[in-house]
Amino acid sequence: MQLEWRQKTALGSIFIYVIGTSFLIYLIFQGNITIPTWIALFWVIALFTTINAVSKSFLKDVNEQFYYLRSVATPIQIIFSKIIYNAFLIILLSLVVYAVMILFFNQNIENKLLFLFTILLGAFGFSNLFTLLSAITARTQNFVLLAILGFPIILPLLLLIVNMSELSNFAIQDKDIYMNLGAIALLDVITLILSVVLFPYIWRD
Amino acid sequence: MKYWWKYLCIILLLYTVVMGFSGPIPQMNILEQSIRNLYFHVPMWFSMMVLMFASMVYSIRYLSKQKIQDDIKASSYATVGFLFGILGIITGSIWARVTWGAWWVFQEVKLNGAAAALLIYGAYFILRGSFDEEEKKARFSAVYSIFAFTMFMVFINVIPRISNSSLHPGNGGNPGFNSYDLDSNLRMVFYPAVIGWILLSVWIASLIIRMKNVHRKIHHLDID
Repeated sequence: MQLEWRQKTALGSIFIYVIGTSFLIYLIFQGNITIPTWIALFWVIALFTTINAVSKSFLKDVNEQFYYLRSVATPIQIIFSKIIYNAFLIILLSLVVYAVMILFFNQNIENKLLFLFTILLGAFGFSNLFTLLSAITARTQNFVLLAILGFPIILPLLLLIVNMSELSNFAIQDKDIYMNLGAIALLDVITLILSVVLFPYIWRD
Repeated sequence: MKYWWKYLCIILLLYTVVMGFSGPIPQMNILEQSIRNLYFHVPMWFSMMVLMFASMVYSIRYLSKQKIQDDIKASSYATVGFLFGILGIITGSIWARVTWGAWWVFQEVKLNGAAAALLIYGAYFILRGSFDEEEKKARFSAVYSIFAFTMFMVFINVIPRISNSSLHPGNGGNPGFNSYDLDSNLRMVFYPAVIGWILLSVWIASLIIRMKNVHRKIHHLDID
């Protein structure tokens, strides 16, 4: 049902952006940070990268492409494909951030599998939220708007994710982990439903 | 008696103010006299939630019916809700200074939740300001408003239950204060106070709606 008809230009710039930001932070902190700081920095970089990457997802479709897309696909198809595309993009970028931060800071999370799973869930949540918001902000000529709208709304999800990342630093398994994962998954589902239901109202013009 | 609820509002708030400042209170450590803030701080948040809910309902109605009236109502309720949220933060901050020793306490998830809620609705007004066309403005801000309210609800209901670092009463589990030792004297004033403040907030919102309609009439914008 979903076709990915996206061209992969300008992707390189985002990768350079990620590596540049990580390197900047590495130099600022002089290569010396604790694990909680590491986690905080990781998600801050991931969040800013997400905003930069996702904000472009509707910007390019302003004129001819917009009418073309409208004629070939229903809004539901479009939002699904954009969400999936953005989610993969965010996962890819997060993994790059992860690799770069391991390389620079020479530190790693204890429970890697759990952390990767958190990245996966978090990326879908980010994608659900920011895809819809970028569809809203693409129509205004206000480019900071995505960050203004997005930051407070992403906060609940971000707090859960950071909490989860800290938990995954301990080798122990307890019920807190499942509760947190459940909450993140629940948020993913809520945001996905909202995005899909509300997107048709934004799409028609 | 078409305006019976306005009279009720005045009576309840007079009762709240008089009884709130002079009524009997239970003896409690640390809280002492500051428990009287219960009649002002907590109803502010209740009013804000009621108004934001009303705003979301009108946003949904706007999306389904496309009547500009609904958008006016949604934005007015959000404006007054925002105002009550600020009042809630101010009264809460004063209370926190007295009982917890600081204007702002990091370990308190609800404070951060409240600040985030205000940011969310601050962004709502900025979004409204960045559209020129009225129809687009109404449609897009309605979509955002529905999103915002959902995340607001998640923030104040789900997060405090998961994290254990709340200084508010009713900690760990119910984020309210039913489990708290509200004695009958406090209840006697607290429930009327809640109803009174909510009525006042709705009243203010209705005045703003009427002002906006008058403004539209003066400038010969059609009211559908």
